[in-house]
Amino acid sequence: MAQTMAEKLLSRHNLAGKPVRTGDFLEARIDGAMCHYHASDSMIEAAHQAGFKDGLPRVWDREKIYVLLDHHQPTLTQKLADENAAVRREVERLGIKCFHDSEPGIAHQMMLDYGLVRPGELVVGNDSHTLGYGSVNAGATGITRADMFYVLLYGELWFQVPESIRIVLDGRQPQYPIAKDIVLYIAGQYGEDVAQSMSIEYAGSLVSQLSIDSRMCLSTHGVELGAKFAMFESDDATSRFVKARTDKPYEVLASDPGAQFAKEIRIDVDEMPFMIAKPHQFGNVAPVEEAKGVRIHQAQIGSCANGRYEDIEIAARMLEGRKVAKGVRFLISPASQQVYLQCLKAGLVEKLVEAGAQVITPGCGICQPRVGFLSDGEVCITATTRNFKGRKGSTQAEIYLGGPLTVTAAAVAGEIVNPKEVFRGL
Amino acid sequence: MGFDIRQMKARGRVWKFGDSIETDAINPYYRYPTMEELKQHTMEVYRPEFPQQVKPGDIMVTGRNFGCGSSRPGLVLREVGIAAIIAESVSRLFLRNSISRAIPIFVAPGVTGIVQDGETLEVDYPKGVVVNTKSGASVAIRKYPPAIEQIFECGGLPEFAYERYLRETAAARTRS
Repeated sequence: MAQTMAEKLLSRHNLAGKPVRTGDFLEARIDGAMCHYHASDSMIEAAHQAGFKDGLPRVWDREKIYVLLDHHQPTLTQKLADENAAVRREVERLGIKCFHDSEPGIAHQMMLDYGLVRPGELVVGNDSHTLGYGSVNAGATGITRADMFYVLLYGELWFQVPESIRIVLDGRQPQYPIAKDIVLYIAGQYGEDVAQSMSIEYAGSLVSQLSIDSRMCLSTHGVELGAKFAMFESDDATSRFVKARTDKPYEVLASDPGAQFAKEIRIDVDEMPFMIAKPHQFGNVAPVEEAKGVRIHQAQIGSCANGRYEDIEIAARMLEGRKVAKGVRFLISPASQQVYLQCLKAGLVEKLVEAGAQVITPGCGICQPRVGFLSDGEVCITATTRNFKGRKGSTQAEIYLGGPLTVTAAAVAGEIVNPKEVFRGL
Repeated sequence: MGFDIRQMKARGRVWKFGDSIETDAINPYYRYPTMEELKQHTMEVYRPEFPQQVKPGDIMVTGRNFGCGSSRPGLVLREVGIAAIIAESVSRLFLRNSISRAIPIFVAPGVTGIVQDGETLEVDYPKGVVVNTKSGASVAIRKYPPAIEQIFECGGLPEFAYERYLRETAAARTRS
């Protein structure tokens, strides 16, 4: 029988050792487990809650658990510092090998930067945006902190084999990133639960032109469409990216001709306008023209969705010879130290600072009420993951989502605007 | 707090919410880090009166995609006394979260069409239905497979893991 990527992935990882089909429940063998800053919930509190008075008695595999204390570097409160210290003691006691506790950055980006995820693997993380590793052909998904406790102990977890949805992207890659516009377009057109519990397979003529950075944005945002997985097939760009970071062998995933998809969506990106999400939901999407003229107080580029080199490069390129509008705080946060370094070496940071942008330490803070709070009545346009009410502090503030180019245009104009009006010749 | 979902019945006053209610609204722990604070603020961005007026035994009825957004458990809803959540559909992570913490949550397509805010709803898992006690209108609940029902019974996945650990270590001792 022809299999989707999800069916193939979960059949290969089925502990019962037999093929599974869409809708089946199974116990799956896990290849990698990413614990970010909620590690203390998964490792310590869940253990006590379960009945292990002295904490986890052991972990399933010291080499396959990756603990990255990402959300709070440097720590902003005493409580978080104490939590991080408690996790460090547990990691040492349990002998977990891969531990990043002194490096700012987003766990998902570090997992990819350091080659901890390989094509064809089943990787789980205690964060909703774990889907991002689907960009390099991994079957990756977010699980809960309680699920993670089970994984830490047994390296196994229950799954239901998801239905699959094929999203075909046709068209040409312009001279700027459009991944964010694509995912907003999908959420607006088809609903933010269009892929609820499903496995997205991206295909179409645009895919081979998409950078790995853009694929990461699309896969990461799979969760904003409700998905369990959001995968790209492996191509030359994938293997170059992966092989530069790890020499471990892997087996790629591809769906078979004739595999059954519950839905197929086709998008011609050449016809797609610049998209934004208006407050306060990801699916509240419109072409940028509909918000034209909305004054902004803050603009942001960063997060696991848009904190990558190409997102920052387009901002620096467009800011050259221009200034951030008076009264606008333009915050830019690279997704990791590796991305930060790449930006520094390329001279991007100098251009950003000269134009009046603020570069923020890599990490998740920019996407949360941690760094750059909004006050009542303030408006922010941001290339980050979410625009829920209160996401940046005040519940009386308004958050728009857009791609890095749209955000940069707004930062220069001081209001939401079609980037083509600010940056002529695009 | 395990319970036998196979026997579960509940009857309570309905709080009705729309589609795509996010976990930031259910569990705004960035702004309110302790459970006591969360209880004072849960769901307030949609219904400012909810934290003050919710009573133990009340039932939440929600539209599609309940609990979208970050992976955050809805423990606060149990803490304020919500006896069951009945949704048109649930975000997959929130569903996993609720199963892993044994919070009674049920998918019942059509439920928002049979009940208004403030009316009384009866949940009967053994029969697989939810019923509006006033109008008698009902819709079916999706049943969980037995393996998932067992997680509810244990009180959550960490507790389920503990039981497995005890069972396996006892078996290993017997063998040696």
